[in-house]
Amino acid sequence: MVQSDTISTRSRLRILVVDDSPLVRLYYRNILERAGFEVEQAINGIEAIEKVQTQAFDLVVVDVNMPKMDGFSFLRALRRSAPTVATLPALVITTESSEYDLDDARVAGANFYLIKPVSEVNLLRHAAILTGRQYERVA
Amino acid sequence: MAGLEDEGIGPTHLTQEEVRRVCEFLYRRTGMVFADSRRYYIDRRVAERIAVTQSGSFRSYFAILRSDANHEIEHLVNAFTVNETYFNREEHQLRCMTSDLLGNIVRVKDRTEAIRIWSIPCSTGEEPYSIAMWLMEHWSEVDSYNIEIVASDIDTRALQVGAEGIYSERALMRLSKDVIGRYFEALPGSRYQIHPGLIDSVQFTHANLIDSLDMARYRSFDIIFCRNVLIYFDDSSRRIAAENLYDCLRPGGYICLGHSESMSRISSLFRVCSFSEAIIYQRPEADHGAK
Repeated sequence: MVQSDTISTRSRLRILVVDDSPLVRLYYRNILERAGFEVEQAINGIEAIEKVQTQAFDLVVVDVNMPKMDGFSFLRALRRSAPTVATLPALVITTESSEYDLDDARVAGANFYLIKPVSEVNLLRHAAILTGRQYERVA
Repeated sequence: MAGLEDEGIGPTHLTQEEVRRVCEFLYRRTGMVFADSRRYYIDRRVAERIAVTQSGSFRSYFAILRSDANHEIEHLVNAFTVNETYFNREEHQLRCMTSDLLGNIVRVKDRTEAIRIWSIPCSTGEEPYSIAMWLMEHWSEVDSYNIEIVASDIDTRALQVGAEGIYSERALMRLSKDVIGRYFEALPGSRYQIHPGLIDSVQFTHANLIDSLDMARYRSFDIIFCRNVLIYFDDSSRRIAAENLYDCLRPGGYICLGHSESMSRISSLFRVCSFSEAIIYQRPEADHGAK
């Protein structure tokens, strides 16, 4: 598990990755697990809402474009949840890059917003910031 | 196929005429050609089917085959296909896919359009799973596109193995410890279960390369991996397969063959593209579907 990118943690932080593509979920999982995070997955907003209400997470990484319940609808539902769940930090990932989307993400309750393709460094840096951990890039 | 050696099935002595009839039957169904030099191979497989169907003689077995009782055609085809492969076979083509092919493909593709990759024949799934793992390990834009990986074979037994995703240690010999750790779970008996996320990423389907109607169900692929199957065909079946594959590609799409195979000797439909890692064939961009 020793890699060039590490997150300094005492206990393993849990991240929920929400994307309809199994390939993309695995790709983000690989990056996050290599850095020491524990990763759980959901295939759409509905499954994600069920998971955040029944399990403890430190961060949710969510794609915007998904069938059934998209990322924005998920975020709105998340922010309307019980206080312990509603404050969960959310990192939104999308292929769109318009300001309109960026505003939508903020209004829906995103803490931060990344545009695909998301690099390993970028994903880890923001995952670290949003979980309140220090991110170290070791050359 | 290796299992046959252990099952104690001795060769049945087929007559020259019986061998000819089986080969003719298989050829018409699959395009596969079996030379006389492979007589032992043919005898063993027919003997296995005669034993399993309890037909007792070639004559009654052939009647079962022709009437396709209990899907015997499928069973015979399954028995004759070769499923010897492993993960990351011909890795240079996978490297070519991420270093050259995908860049060319996405340059003219809208981000909302899927990238479609086809592994045919996919055998027991090592090739399509290798493609999926390779993309995650080596393509930084893997999260930016909807990637569809379709895996097809004529052998329904092989497809079932692929969809279950359990492999021997030998199949994993070209994979690094890191990659095995990320995508496989060790099972008892030196076997490995592939990650369910990979199984979900690959769609396994039955397809027959020389059946144009069947192949018409498959269209708009950006990359086709069709490796080490055309060597089993004669010239005429090869040409039919090549034309079918051509129709399954998007204009500008690529087809990768096995290292000993050459599309130029089969068909003039494709353009030869020489990349640093591999020779790949391309359906020209502006051909308006003309043959």
